[in-house]
Amino acid sequence: MRRLLAARAAQAVAVVAIVATIVFALTHLAPGDPFATAVGTGELHPAQREALRVRYGFDRPIAEQYVMYLRNLARGDLGWSFSRSRPVAAALAAAVPNTLLLMGTALLLSLALGVAAGLLQAARRDSAIDRGSGAILLVFYSMPDFWLALMMMLAFAYALPIFPVSGMIDPVMHEYLGTWGRIVDRVRHLVLPATTLTLLITAAIARHQRAALLDAARADYTRTARAKGLSGRAVLLRHTLRNSLGTTITLVGLMFPALLGGAVLVETVFAWPGMGQLATSAITTRDYSLVTAAAIMSAVMTVLGSAIADVLTAIADPRLRER
Amino acid sequence: MTTRRYAAASLALAFLACSGDKRGSNASGDVGGTVVISLSGEPDFLMQPVITTTASKMVTDQIFEPLAELKPEMNTMGDGGFAPRLARHWTWSADSLSIAFELDPRARWHDGVPVRAADVKIGYDLLADTSVHSPQAANVTDIDSVTVRDSLTAVFWFHQRSLDQFFSAAYNVVPLPEHLLRNVKRSELKSDPFAKHPVGNGPFRFVRWVPTQLIEIVADTTHFSGRPKLDRIVYSFAADPNTAVTRVLAGEADFIEVIRGEQLAQALKTPTLQAKVYGGLDYAFLQFNLRDPKRHAAPNALFGDRTLRRALAMAIDRPAMVKNVYDTLAAVPFGPAPRSLGIADTNIRQLPYDTAAANRTLDSLGWRDSNGDGIRDRRGIPLRFSLATPSSSKPRQRMAVLLQEQLKRVGVDVVIDELDLNTMVGKLMSRNFDAVLMSWHPDPTPSSIRQVWTTTASREKGGLNFGSYESPVFDAQIDSAASAHSVEQARALYHRAYQTLVDDEPAVMLYEPDLVAAASKRIHLVNLRPDAWWAGIREWSIPADQRIERDRLGLGRAAQ
Repeated sequence: MRRLLAARAAQAVAVVAIVATIVFALTHLAPGDPFATAVGTGELHPAQREALRVRYGFDRPIAEQYVMYLRNLARGDLGWSFSRSRPVAAALAAAVPNTLLLMGTALLLSLALGVAAGLLQAARRDSAIDRGSGAILLVFYSMPDFWLALMMMLAFAYALPIFPVSGMIDPVMHEYLGTWGRIVDRVRHLVLPATTLTLLITAAIARHQRAALLDAARADYTRTARAKGLSGRAVLLRHTLRNSLGTTITLVGLMFPALLGGAVLVETVFAWPGMGQLATSAITTRDYSLVTAAAIMSAVMTVLGSAIADVLTAIADPRLRER
Repeated sequence: MTTRRYAAASLALAFLACSGDKRGSNASGDVGGTVVISLSGEPDFLMQPVITTTASKMVTDQIFEPLAELKPEMNTMGDGGFAPRLARHWTWSADSLSIAFELDPRARWHDGVPVRAADVKIGYDLLADTSVHSPQAANVTDIDSVTVRDSLTAVFWFHQRSLDQFFSAAYNVVPLPEHLLRNVKRSELKSDPFAKHPVGNGPFRFVRWVPTQLIEIVADTTHFSGRPKLDRIVYSFAADPNTAVTRVLAGEADFIEVIRGEQLAQALKTPTLQAKVYGGLDYAFLQFNLRDPKRHAAPNALFGDRTLRRALAMAIDRPAMVKNVYDTLAAVPFGPAPRSLGIADTNIRQLPYDTAAANRTLDSLGWRDSNGDGIRDRRGIPLRFSLATPSSSKPRQRMAVLLQEQLKRVGVDVVIDELDLNTMVGKLMSRNFDAVLMSWHPDPTPSSIRQVWTTTASREKGGLNFGSYESPVFDAQIDSAASAHSVEQARALYHRAYQTLVDDEPAVMLYEPDLVAAASKRIHLVNLRPDAWWAGIREWSIPADQRIERDRLGLGRAAQ
């Protein structure tokens, strides 16, 4: 287990270094700079724009900027966010918990729904329920994330105003609510973005779970369990499901980047103040430091997600633990 | 800023909040209520010397009081277009090189300290101090200094006479609390807590800022000129513009400054919403690059020729294009001054839409369709150019297609080049383009035309005269107008300059759009000024019988 963790840590450092370099190069080589979008709006005079470019070193060669960036990164200084007017670390610290809340909720819901749907489909293999539920889940899986988010918003916040349009809290009333009222307010704001993400990834988990269950159903231990006289339900829940969960956990770990990608657009549409919204606005405003830091943070979260999945799989499977 | 200083300010704020609460929570008639403003951009700071965004200005203008306020007529020349605010009155020196502003003695900062002339001085000093790197510094270069004559009189000194003197002082300099800022290291002004948690002297007091989510301000019920009618304003942020609009459509927010197209139609169908049309300062134009994109020293092979530019202008049916894209919500500009500025001249001679004349002119210049492919050519070179347009602007994309179609009729091939905004700005800055569909938002003073059309703006690093139009005649006319001795003389000179520009046709002025705001019907909107729709917020009101839950909160807990 220690070797596994050490290997994962080394891999994480390498991935983060590569991601930081690529993102730094891409953002700095693209035309424009953090002050370009103010041109034509009357917000920034040319002389002031030039002064800001010089002040923040954007007039220097990209290699020099890169060395400066690495030096600061080594000291733990992620830089200053122009679009947020605060240190990048502070902007990330405010956003990451919100994203983890959204993704964690979606992940738990999709895991529960996906496993349940996979079970149902495997138990009723080739039935109308199997085909029907598979088709429905596939429809959600095929939808572009931003489109589904907009449709959810239009359906349940505008046409049928059950849930709030966006944000994490009611901007006015939240301050005036009691403890329970505040919790309910937060949950109400979480429903639409979390449901959108859940719908997007449940299908993949369900399909994978179904296939894993059907594989496990053909295994010798399943046949043995049946031969012992266990009921079909007991075989499915105690033996087949338990043995098939390992691969699903691995899949969830591998889905982490996709989930994070989906969260970027879902957060933007629902104005959820997390990493996704942060990254989107950073890209739009050419906020170099924030874009690079957001990419690094995504890489870290992805590697971490993958590592956690490995560890969980190892815990679940004694054979892997011994290796 | 020290902790002790903030603690003292907070105590004073809490006291004032409690004393003000009595008047706020019992609000009746048209006093009281909450307006949630939906924004797709978040302010960067809330202290004038360091702000760079319009979102910041719309909030700070409620928290800080200017010396004088621009009236809705938008006449920025001289002082006739301004109404007293923090300054009760002002006196010009005999040589017109200084203005003494006498402050209203009743004015107080929100921590209870009286507003004094030293506050005006520090407001200017922070703008002008090079260690602050204020983005607004270029707006006050005509001011030499600000001195304190006595505790209630601040004197602005100018190095030359111009009709913008008063505008520079009253519009661009915002007094700041000297007692809270005197010890702040100026090079670190942005990182001082005051920059994001200000103590102001305006009609609304700052309450809280939840980054990426909201800013809340509440009425200062002790304000010397009387409390604003609303209790509270909440600025709610959404990074996605569609979400910002949907919040208003769903009733979660009450106001959005601009709404267009399908969303406007949706707003008009929503029974709880009103659409309010108001003038803006933006105008858009087809700008030609008069220099060679690759060798800037050489004139552009096409657009270096004034006659060719005029021929192209005559081939463009601007009213039809504007009608097609905007219906009645935009107009063809008279020149480089939008109607809202009040100096726009309806008498400027315009080139007519005359395709026959355009064809004749192009023929006479030797541009003929020699190979019958529908595109004119001369010495084997086709009459073709690329037209840069930002992919973020749907109206300009549609305009580009219409331009392409119209110029095709006279044998000109336009290749549309849709670009990401940053990429387009990069090309414009390096002057590496043929033509561009440009939109400009000028400052609300006629002399701001210098930012885009003068030789200086063409040659200075980062200058915004992307097309490199350089006319000594135009420059001289603008200089004379800006330093004229009377408003009437200035008007005449500005009109002459506009005519010069229109005749030279370095750009074809295409449209100036009206702005349409969407707001809850329960809000009585007042004075959506073209340069600042928020200018009249202190007069906005919500009748008592139309209030909803959030309107009935009073000043309450948030204020404390």
